[in-house]
Amino acid sequence: MKDATNMPVDVAIDLRINGKMTQLDVPPNVVLLDALRDRLGLTGTKKGCDHGQCGACTVLVNGEAVNSCLSLAVTHDGDDITTVEGLADGETLSPVQQAFLDHDAFQCGYCTPGQMVSATELMHNHAVGDTDADIAEAMSGNICRCGAYKNIVAAIQSARKAG
Amino acid sequence: MSTATIGTAVPRVEGIDKLTGRARYAADFHPEGMAYGYGVYSTISRGRVVSIDTEQAQQMPGVIEIFHHDNFPELHRSPASFPEENMVDELRTPFEDDVVHYAGQFVAFVVAETFEQARNAAYRVRVDYDAESAAATLADGRARGTTEANRNERGDADAGFSSAEVTVDATYTTPVETHNPMELHATTAYWRDGRLVVHESTQGVIFARNTLAKNFDLDPSQIEIHADFIGSGFGGKLWLWPHCLATCAASRELGRPVQFMLPRQYMFTTSGHRPETSQHLRLGATRQGVLTSIMHESINSTSSINTFVEACGGSTASLYACDNLRVTHATAVVDRGTPTPMRAPGAGVGLFALESAMDELAIALDMDPLALRRKNFTEVDPDGGKPFSSNHMLECYDRAAERFGWADRDPAIGSMRDGDEILGWGLAACNWDAMRNPCDARVTLRPDGSATVHCATQDIGTGTYTIIAQTAADTLGIDIDRVHVAIGDSTFPHGQISGGSWATASILPAVIGACKAASDRLIEYAVKDGAPMAGANGDDLIYEAGVVKNGQGDQASAKAILKPLSLPSAVGDFHSDGATEPGYSYGSFGVHFVEIGWAPDIARLRARRVVSAVDAGAIINDRTARNQVEGAIVMGLGSALFEATEYDERTARPVNNNYAEYLVPVNADMPDLDVILLDHPDYKLNELGARGIGEIGLTGIQAAVANAVHHATGKRIRDLPIMLDKLMETS
Repeated sequence: MKDATNMPVDVAIDLRINGKMTQLDVPPNVVLLDALRDRLGLTGTKKGCDHGQCGACTVLVNGEAVNSCLSLAVTHDGDDITTVEGLADGETLSPVQQAFLDHDAFQCGYCTPGQMVSATELMHNHAVGDTDADIAEAMSGNICRCGAYKNIVAAIQSARKAG
Repeated sequence: MSTATIGTAVPRVEGIDKLTGRARYAADFHPEGMAYGYGVYSTISRGRVVSIDTEQAQQMPGVIEIFHHDNFPELHRSPASFPEENMVDELRTPFEDDVVHYAGQFVAFVVAETFEQARNAAYRVRVDYDAESAAATLADGRARGTTEANRNERGDADAGFSSAEVTVDATYTTPVETHNPMELHATTAYWRDGRLVVHESTQGVIFARNTLAKNFDLDPSQIEIHADFIGSGFGGKLWLWPHCLATCAASRELGRPVQFMLPRQYMFTTSGHRPETSQHLRLGATRQGVLTSIMHESINSTSSINTFVEACGGSTASLYACDNLRVTHATAVVDRGTPTPMRAPGAGVGLFALESAMDELAIALDMDPLALRRKNFTEVDPDGGKPFSSNHMLECYDRAAERFGWADRDPAIGSMRDGDEILGWGLAACNWDAMRNPCDARVTLRPDGSATVHCATQDIGTGTYTIIAQTAADTLGIDIDRVHVAIGDSTFPHGQISGGSWATASILPAVIGACKAASDRLIEYAVKDGAPMAGANGDDLIYEAGVVKNGQGDQASAKAILKPLSLPSAVGDFHSDGATEPGYSYGSFGVHFVEIGWAPDIARLRARRVVSAVDAGAIINDRTARNQVEGAIVMGLGSALFEATEYDERTARPVNNNYAEYLVPVNADMPDLDVILLDHPDYKLNELGARGIGEIGLTGIQAAVANAVHHATGKRIRDLPIMLDKLMETS
């Protein structure tokens, strides 16, 4: 939609974010990542490339892991979105978060929200097998430049076995 | 009484913040009224900006201002002094003139109400250039001329080489590598009552403060740099880059906060890189494998803005006993941005050359490559003649070789197989200097029994928060969860950069000293009038595990001492200097053993297994230290197998300036990693015996891979990265 001067106008959307209904007026060219970070104050989701290449911005949309930098916010009207801020239950870490802590599956922490969101999806994704190689393959859309991959695989294996 | 934590695998104290999204990085701050910056970058690599047309862009919704060289405020250059702690590698300030030195240089800076508006407007800024032909490669730069930077000679390297019974003479080349930390360079800046406040993704809050003080001609006390969390840097965030200065200046001019994130593609152009190198290696040896000459002559690319020297031969002068040596470093100017240190600068690519050449020498001698290295081991640093403070390289060789199974290696080319894969086994030494630099810290003991450590250093993911907490907890004898670590703020006591692998060795002695100063202060208070031990002689009292004790079995807590005096806390400051015992050469040592698999039928090369042993002094935290070495090995495998910034030879522009085409290791690239940490304290460096561990793991790994590739394929790849095309070439 555009206004009289041919400029796009804001679109009203409803999002259920981390269990909470949120109403947002957003220009149509705003991606979900920037809507979360700049307009909703949910800065836990990180921008690493803005091109869907690194996975740092991964969020769950209706339970499925997506790159929020490649997805326009206006296309998510009515969607259920989970970000890193929504993984824990109050002060209790989720099994994936606890496993990441126990296995030191991070260093700088910048890719970690995206890693954990992808791992959270893997907890219920039975199409992905049980070997370390299966996990490594499934997690290869989330780059960790610090190179904590060994511990990331160990953390996910531990969380999956417990879950 | 708490349990000692040093040497154990304490979980990261800042872990919960990072795992819940509460940890705030530079672009996670949104001060009231904040505007967004977006850059316009040169599309030519050399020449001048003829005109900038901002008319259409200025009309775009939300645009506040568009800065460029005609309207940007006049700023000052930093002296770029390491000792003064205002180092920068891009000496030029942004927009200081119309000259273009490299593609991807800032030519305009748009500020708008939203990120999207700033980006839209930036796309509509029209820039006309007067372009000149550019030097795209090191070869192009060398054609213009080279400049020698320094040389290090001992004995007679030429005579040692010409009289040698066996020689190697080869040239090794390495490409531009780009740091690519996950976090984009980012600045959130605002001015308040004449003070500049900056949230910057930086490895050095003190250096950032001092540099901006020069740029804006302010007293450093008028500037605050905050870096609570940094999405790592790998050297690329040691010194400030133009975006920070542009953002701070825009904020001042506009009177409101401005935030800027450097897009990934420009992190390949305007925030440094590891330069391209060409390294000529000549080794001479006796028939028995005793080195008689080492010559390591390197040339690296630099920019027309500044001379950056990649010290490829730094480790070469020290690693092996050899009386005759020549190490030279030279530079050639190409039309790219200025290089900057990237994790293990110098040795990171230098040991690729030296340790590949050592493998070639072993083959020429028909000698086991591990035996050749053992034969030339030295306990005295031949560069300067000082003994090493602590060097357990031989133990590294023994333990890693045993764990790897090196004794089972059949040296014949292509002789070892596993199914469809030909296996290659290679090894290389790793090495990094150990340094300790001056550092201050402050410890505050409070009535509730807690302690706060203040230090203007930062944690880039290395574990600094955690090891400071461990050190304070153990020194004070209190539980680690009673220690609060306050770092990442330039207003705190003078701390060190997160670089050079010297943070641990430099910071922890200051923390220990400050803990002792604070507990001494508590004893002073304990004997004051009204305090629990009033009238006692302070010399008769001791501090232990959170309480002050006398010899009669009485004790007083911090609360019991401070409350009656109405004091908020007992504070101790400490300044720590260099090595505990001078007169030694301090370094860390190790070895990598690598197994690669080469599947010729499907042309697949992969690293299957790495066993590394590292002697890095005392290990403060086994899990964070191990993570550092493993991560460095991963990055080194990227350097060995994938990573190269490629430039269009016609335009000198990088063509693979993104994560899809500049390949970094992903999870599925991981080999089986087995890291042995020796844990021999080096008390000559500091009282904990800790050296540093961030960089050594990246040195030598490329050579271990290249040597393994040779063992599998018979192909000696002397040009990184070892891509498939190089293995498929028929020579």
